[in-house]
Amino acid sequence: MADTNYERQNPAFYALIALLVFMSIGPVLLLLINSLKLDVDITSGAGGLLFMPTIRNYETALCDILWYEPEHLRFCTIRFGGAFVNSLIIALISTALTLIFGCMAAYALVRFKFMGRDSLSLSTLAVRMIPPAVLLVPVFGLWNNSFCLDNDYGVGAWIRDTFGGRGDVCLAGTHSGIILVYVAMNLPFVIWILQSFIVQVPKSLEEAARVDGAGPFQVFFLVVLPLIKPGLAAASIFTFRIAWNEYLLASALADRDTMTVPILIVNNASEFDGLGTILATGMLLAIPPILFTLFASRQIITGMTAGAVKG
Amino acid sequence: MPTIRLENLVKRYGAVEVLHGIELDMAEHEFTVLVGPSGCGKSTTLRMLAGLETVSDGEIYMDDRPISGLDPKDRDIAMVFQDYALYPHMNVARNMSFSLRLQKTPQATIDKKVGEVAEMLGLSPFLGRKPGELSGGQRQRVAMGRALCRDASTFLFDEPLSNLDAKLRGQMRAELALMRQNVKKNMIYVTHDQIEAMTLADRIVVMHGGHIQQQGTPSELFKNPVNRFVAGFLGSPPMNFLEADLVEENGALHAKGDGFSIRLPNDLATRARNKAVHKATLGLRPSDLEYTPDAPVDQSLDLNVVVSEYIGAQSVLICGCGDAKVTVELKSETPIALGETLRFAVRPEGLHLFDTKTEVAL
Repeated sequence: MADTNYERQNPAFYALIALLVFMSIGPVLLLLINSLKLDVDITSGAGGLLFMPTIRNYETALCDILWYEPEHLRFCTIRFGGAFVNSLIIALISTALTLIFGCMAAYALVRFKFMGRDSLSLSTLAVRMIPPAVLLVPVFGLWNNSFCLDNDYGVGAWIRDTFGGRGDVCLAGTHSGIILVYVAMNLPFVIWILQSFIVQVPKSLEEAARVDGAGPFQVFFLVVLPLIKPGLAAASIFTFRIAWNEYLLASALADRDTMTVPILIVNNASEFDGLGTILATGMLLAIPPILFTLFASRQIITGMTAGAVKG
Repeated sequence: MPTIRLENLVKRYGAVEVLHGIELDMAEHEFTVLVGPSGCGKSTTLRMLAGLETVSDGEIYMDDRPISGLDPKDRDIAMVFQDYALYPHMNVARNMSFSLRLQKTPQATIDKKVGEVAEMLGLSPFLGRKPGELSGGQRQRVAMGRALCRDASTFLFDEPLSNLDAKLRGQMRAELALMRQNVKKNMIYVTHDQIEAMTLADRIVVMHGGHIQQQGTPSELFKNPVNRFVAGFLGSPPMNFLEADLVEENGALHAKGDGFSIRLPNDLATRARNKAVHKATLGLRPSDLEYTPDAPVDQSLDLNVVVSEYIGAQSVLICGCGDAKVTVELKSETPIALGETLRFAVRPEGLHLFDTKTEVAL
C-alpha cells in the first residue's frame, strides 16, 4: 500500500519536501562549513564553497581541554571545555531528576485517588504558564540569600574552618542551584505528558502484577515503567533540550565555574578573536542535543501495549 | 488446599451497596462457578477474594484464617483475567515466570516449571514470542499458564473465555475441563455463560442483584431451582413461564391459564395447598414438552407453532399459547407445519410452580 501511494505523489510534493529539508538542514550546514573556514574566508564573501578546511576554530574553542597547545594561540582565553562539562552535568542530571520525579508524580496523579487530585493536576500546568523572566528575580534572591548554609555553625562552619573563606554556601553559583530550577521548570510539562501515557496502561495489567506477587514499587518499575518508555523518551528529549539551551536563568544563577555553554558564548563573544570561533562553538553546542535526540527517539515505538489485553 | 469461606461479605461503593452479605463455603479442590447476569456482583466477589477490591463488611477465611486484610500477593491465589492482562513487553516465558522471578526462584526451577506448563498448554513453540504476536486463543492459554506456574492453592478465573469466538470457546472449555482433572486446586470461576457454568462446575452459585440465589451441583440447580430467576437463568433455551390460577377441579388442583388447564401432580398440589397459593407461574423447560397428538387435555398444552428454528438434530419451535410465547425443543424429524395448532404433552416431573408474588418455587 505504501509503495503505490509514493508513486502517485505530485511533483510539487517533492519540491515542498526538498524545501523543508533545505530549510531545516541549510543553517546547520552553513554553520558547519563556515566553522571550518578561516576568518578571512568567512568575511571576504568570495568563494563560498571553495576554501581550505581548517580545524583552527575548533582548536581555539577547545583550547582548555586539548592535550597540545595550538600554534596559533598565545593564551587560552575561552574555557569552552569546562562550560561544556557544566552543560552536560546540568542537562543530564536535571533531565534524569525530572523524569524520575515526573513519572512517579504522574503515576500518582493518574492512579491514586486523593483529595485535591484534579486541582493539583491542573496547578502543575499553571506553574508552566509563568514566564522564566518572572521567576528570575525571586529565584535569584532566594538562591543568593535564603538557601544558604550559615557559616556560624554546622556544615558552613566546618567549611569555613577547613577550606577558609566565608564559609556560607548558597545555592546560587552551584550546579545544584541551576539543576533545581530546571527540574522545577520542566516537571509540570513532563508530568502532563506522562499522565497521558500512564492512562493508557491497562489497569488489569497492574492488578495481574499485584496478584502475581509484586509490591507497589515492583508494579511501577517492572510493569508500568517499561510500557511508558516512549513517553519517557519524548519527555527526556524535551527536558534535555530546554536545559541545554536555557540562557536566562543560567545567566543569573551561574558563576564563573558553573557557567553553561550558552552563557559562555554570550559572555565571551567579544573576547573571541573572530567569527569562526563562535561558529565552531555553536557547532559543538549543537552536537549533544542531536545525539541525545537520535538516541532517545529510538525508544519512541508506538504500540507498546499491543497484545496486553483483548478488546 | 485450604477451604474458603465467605462470611456475610458486603461491598459498598459510597452509599450504594452492591453485595448484600454473601455467605459461601467452598470445599477443597472444588470447582465453584459464580454465575449471573452482568452487574450481579459475581466479579466483585471474585475481586474481593483476590484482594483487588476492599471488603466493606464481613470476612473471607482461608482455612479459618481471615485474609481480607492481606495484600493480593500474600493470599496464595492466582488469577486469570477476562482481558488476559499479559505483560506486553515480556515474552511468553517471562510472562509465565513473572511471579516466580519476583519470588527469586532459582533459574533452573523456573525453566523446569515453565517448560512443564508450556508443554501442558501446547505453548512450547511460542515461549520466545511477545503477546502481540499471538492469536486470541494462544494469549488465553498464556494467561492460564501464568496462573498455573504460580503453584498457588486457589485459582480465580474472571470470565476467561468471554473474549474468544464461539468455536474457540468450546475448545478452551474442554481444555479447562481436562486441566481441572489434572490440577488438583481450588478453582473459582466467574462467568455469565450458563453453559460454561453447567459444564465445568462441581458447584454452581447463581447470583442476582448482589444476593446468592441458589447454590448446588449443576443437576440440582437444573432440576430443583428455588425460584423463578434461577429457573430462567439456567438451561438453554430458557424455561417457559406461564401465568396460571390454581383451582380445584374434580378433586385435583389444576393450573388454569390462557388456553390451558393442567392437572398438577400430587406432591406439587399438596405443597401449593399448604401454602395457600392461588396465583402461580408455571415453569416448563422446552425439553419437557413432547409432541403427543393423543395426550389427555389436562396433561398437555395446545400450541400454535409460529416459528421453527432448525439447529441440526434438534429444532426449537416458538409457539403461541394464548398471549404467551412458549418454546419447545424437539427432534428435527418430527413433522411439524407452521401455523398448525398441535398438542404437546407435559412431562409431570418437568413441572415447576412459582408463587407469582414472591417468585419462590413451590
